[in-house]
Amino acid sequence: MSRIFVTGMGAISAIGNSVAGNRAALIEGRTGIGPLRQFNTRYADLLPFGEVEISTASLADKLSAHEPGLTRTSLLALHAFEEAVADAGWDEAIVQSSDTALIGANTVGGMCLTDELYRDANSREAGSPYLASYDAASVNLYLQKRFGLTGIINTINTACSSSANAIAYGARLIQHGFAKRAIVGGTDSLAKFTINGFNALHILSAKPCAPFDQDRNGLNLGEGAAFIILENETALKERKTYAILSGHANSNDAFHPSSISDEGEGPYRSMKGALELAALRPGDISFINAHGTGTENNDLTESRAMLRLFEKVPPFASTKSNTGHTLGAAGALEAVFSILNLYHQEIYPAQNWQQPIPETGLRPVHAYQQLPLQHVMSNSFGFGGNCTSLVFSAC
Amino acid sequence: MLLYVHQSSCISPQQTFGAKDLDSLQPAVNNAFRIIEPSYEGIPTGILRRMGKAVRMGTGAALPLLRNRATPVDGIIIGTANGGMEDCIKFLNQIIEYQEGMLTPTNFVQSTTNAIASQIGLMTSNRNYNITHVQRGLAFENALLDAAMLAADHKAQSFLVGGVDEISAYNYNIDLLDGWFKQETITGNDLYSYDTPGSIAGEGCAMFLVNSHPDEAVACIKAVEIIHSSDPAWVAAALDRFLLHHLGTQQPAVFMSGEDGDSRLHAFYQACESKMNAQASVLRFKHMTGEYATVSAIAVWIACQIIDSAHIPTHMVKRSGGGRTNSVLIYNCHKEQQHSFILLEAVRP
Repeated sequence: MSRIFVTGMGAISAIGNSVAGNRAALIEGRTGIGPLRQFNTRYADLLPFGEVEISTASLADKLSAHEPGLTRTSLLALHAFEEAVADAGWDEAIVQSSDTALIGANTVGGMCLTDELYRDANSREAGSPYLASYDAASVNLYLQKRFGLTGIINTINTACSSSANAIAYGARLIQHGFAKRAIVGGTDSLAKFTINGFNALHILSAKPCAPFDQDRNGLNLGEGAAFIILENETALKERKTYAILSGHANSNDAFHPSSISDEGEGPYRSMKGALELAALRPGDISFINAHGTGTENNDLTESRAMLRLFEKVPPFASTKSNTGHTLGAAGALEAVFSILNLYHQEIYPAQNWQQPIPETGLRPVHAYQQLPLQHVMSNSFGFGGNCTSLVFSAC
Repeated sequence: MLLYVHQSSCISPQQTFGAKDLDSLQPAVNNAFRIIEPSYEGIPTGILRRMGKAVRMGTGAALPLLRNRATPVDGIIIGTANGGMEDCIKFLNQIIEYQEGMLTPTNFVQSTTNAIASQIGLMTSNRNYNITHVQRGLAFENALLDAAMLAADHKAQSFLVGGVDEISAYNYNIDLLDGWFKQETITGNDLYSYDTPGSIAGEGCAMFLVNSHPDEAVACIKAVEIIHSSDPAWVAAALDRFLLHHLGTQQPAVFMSGEDGDSRLHAFYQACESKMNAQASVLRFKHMTGEYATVSAIAVWIACQIIDSAHIPTHMVKRSGGGRTNSVLIYNCHKEQQHSFILLEAVRP
């Protein structure tokens, strides 16, 4: 199998509007968790969220994106897409080549427009401008039209692991010769739909989330988008490379629609599979960007799976304490953070952590550190038992 | 790519599940082709009651292929544009109507588009690869491509791949408002006789057991092409390249056109059909299925039946060709922007 290189990145989240902005916040230990400002829900002041600071209208202005029916989810994607493509130094011809694939992911699509969707779904009167914008595919169909993309385009939805699977799918397309390069990632915006869904499941914390802390009591929803550029070895000519995508694996926990099995069977298998594909031993992993949502169930089961797989659990932390859980964007956003770990040889600290979970005793990294890192694992686990792990390696 | 189809299962508006009969045509009712629901043997009643229609038909079509296997399949790969849209909007309606009060999470959990693949995984205790492709009119095609890559990498493994979408009151309403369904009353074959925009709503599900081994396979999926374009000439040029690359100077025995009576898509279907010479039979199938994003899954299932039985239902024939049935090229266009070519061939000469 040919090696897959990361040659560009773009990211927007509650802690920054660029990869550099996100990195600065991670180093400083700054979080983007707080009350909602951009849209109206009864939970705006009751629960904290990781909201992107820019309003939808300002995003549209900034990106000169005024096509009818454009949603916040698509605008966030467009923002990260443009940063990633510029970072890779691609011109229009490369973007439009039939050898360039676009693999995206999201879970809410245009359902951030809850009230418009309600009217369009239930009324026989004239529709809103968003009739074609509600599904997950609408984001990539917009990017396709805007940039005149002609290669393979796909959207993946495996809930919270969606964009980790988008990254793996793009890499496989390249390795099988269906593309020479791929723009891969994900996006999601805050929506009444997900806020009320997660709230009904009683897994939203009223406080800033505390991943892997014994008193953790839920997650904070966030929003954002991230894309990374993947290219095969032959496409590289003295170009900047950030990292190698060396492993990926997808496994289903097959236990429960919205929680992970006690022993973390799915997480264990996805981490193990990613190591095997990368031809690495557990001891080779320098750091884990954990899924670490801050829920009772996730952090305990992920910890147990790590204890099963690793003789000595490597340093780990969850950046969801900075960004909130960005759902369909999380796998890609945390892939960017994992690549930054490797590229800058540094680890970003977990926030709000005080005491280890008594059953496991595991302590996440809670201070910024610089240290040699060779292989970083990134975990993403979703509803429906969809578990995916990625491994990035230093070039 | 090479993907061999060994078993298949289809729940559709026609008699495709259990005792199959593709020669007699079931008409549309109230301008929609809705599935004939089977009894869903093997799904416990309590679980069945909680399932939305998309999850129900997806699981119902998949389980017969997964039961009685010595080893679990090595991947569950589903293409669906909307998954459980009915549950999705039911939950949305609760949000609005109860002003974000205390809601029950059942509809929310069922509404995620990955619920079909994950439910199949859950019910068969399958911890292997599990994924849901949602690229609207090319969701199933991406699922096929995914399966083909897995089959090429893992010669000893077998995979479940399928396409599922439902008509919910809500997505029907949204697509109707967006102009994708005709106002005229349609019952079946008359679908092609209108020169007006819009088609007729459909739903269905087809599941396939696939791997890289030709032994005893029903058919081979030889190529899948995924195209995004709004230009008929671009699509026709892509078909020229596709034919040259995969068939050389030959023509497929059968051209299955996704023609759906929508006047806005005539130019695409005409441009592709015009590439076929008199040796190719031209067939249509949307009068059996209606129009929806993952209808190409059922087109592949029908193509497998034609290849396996060497028989073409007469109501499908738009133009008779040389009478051969050993290869089928499916062209489908979804909402002007998404197109696919899927080429199937007989495994036995």
